[in-house]
Amino acid sequence: MVKSKHLYMLSFILCLTGNLSAQTANISPERKQAIDSLALEKVRDLSKYIGIIGNKKTAFAEATRVMDRAEELFAPDSEMGVSSLNRKDVVYYKIRKYFERLMALNYDRVSIKWYEIHYISDLELQPDGRYVGVVTVYQRFEGESDDGLKYKDTTKKDITIYVERKKTQIAGRTVEFWDVMLGDIRVTETKV
Amino acid sequence: MDAFKALLFASFIMLLPFPSPAQIMVEKQDESKLYAESKQVNQFFRRFNGEEDEKGKRYYPKDKQYRSAKLRKKYLGILFDEANAGIGNELKTEFVKKVLDNPETAILDFHGPNWFCEVLTTFTMNEKAQPVTLYMELEKDHLGSKWVIQKVYASMFQPYFVRDTTRIGRFLHPLSHELDFMNLRKAFVNSDSISQFATKRFVPDYLSVFLYEIKKGNLKFVSVENVKFHFFQIDGWYFELSDFNRPGYNTGWLISNLVKLNSAADKDVLRRYLYHETK
Repeated sequence: MVKSKHLYMLSFILCLTGNLSAQTANISPERKQAIDSLALEKVRDLSKYIGIIGNKKTAFAEATRVMDRAEELFAPDSEMGVSSLNRKDVVYYKIRKYFERLMALNYDRVSIKWYEIHYISDLELQPDGRYVGVVTVYQRFEGESDDGLKYKDTTKKDITIYVERKKTQIAGRTVEFWDVMLGDIRVTETKV
Repeated sequence: MDAFKALLFASFIMLLPFPSPAQIMVEKQDESKLYAESKQVNQFFRRFNGEEDEKGKRYYPKDKQYRSAKLRKKYLGILFDEANAGIGNELKTEFVKKVLDNPETAILDFHGPNWFCEVLTTFTMNEKAQPVTLYMELEKDHLGSKWVIQKVYASMFQPYFVRDTTRIGRFLHPLSHELDFMNLRKAFVNSDSISQFATKRFVPDYLSVFLYEIKKGNLKFVSVENVKFHFFQIDGWYFELSDFNRPGYNTGWLISNLVKLNSAADKDVLRRYLYHETK
């Protein structure tokens, strides 16, 4: 967690570089790269939190604390839309509910691994002036119960990111920075 | 094609690792397949236009490779659904040639006109599941843009607007106005024949009905079933873009239908077909 905060600060500083007063609609390639790094950092944190919440060895109190941290990554009202190979229609869960379901899964051993690959879309301007993008990552889940029941799947996660320019006061000076929040996530079971 | 797959795989190998100890890597071969997949519609645009490298890193106008013919040719070869025998090789070759011969104009423009999205959804109408197709387009609004519903098609609405124009049927005689249209009372008694009193030019607007039914609380959203896109952005051509979730390298957002349009009339007929329009 402490490491993560340091990384956020680093990303924050990186995003401070450049012309702070320019309110242009376009984001320069350099700025886009810095924002991508910040977005990926949040996605990595989410991946880590999902691993902890899904781990059967994680104590309930710890899992609850991690769920709180994970929720903080998201914009209010964010949802997970989940579909599987057998069931094409999408089931929608509030983020917290999704985590609670993950924690309550009826397996004695759970393994959550992440593929190395990721894809980050362009950033598009919304009517409200915030930028929106999508980060795609892939996860492999394996669950096993003591009676030998096994389940595994690979899911594609398309994660919405909201990027917003914010202001803060540091030592009496107003500085602007780019902040990234996660939004809705579409989870699709994939055939590899 | 094989060489390109190999290139994609090699590019993947060179990728920087996701530097978290919790993220244990899985089979490299699986990853090379995911790497080849057009993972987002955004990536389809970039590949079609030749705006990113094999690792998904974006090229910008200052980059030498940006929209280069070599890169575009390479990508165009992998952007078709190979399982669709309906798209002949000759047609594909002609389309690719058209794109490569017109590098300035044969570019997909995310914010441009002449493309739209078809979203197949399920709603419940008075508790019964019903398919509803939403046709969406991007619209500029304030500081940015947003997807808006441009049209709706729902087969459940169709019977309400069916009318037989071949027979004389029921009508309001041409001097009805002299009687303050008192015969309207008889016209509205039988709801089945009500559409006979509408003009021949009448075209039902399902979007209005759709909004009305939702506001009345009769129509409730359940789920999105399928999403695809229709492109008329390449002059003289139409193509459909669909998502293929299957094993192998030919996956993700791919061209699932390709039609050469010989005239503006062809384009109009196809457009109306896609919208389920009869007039």
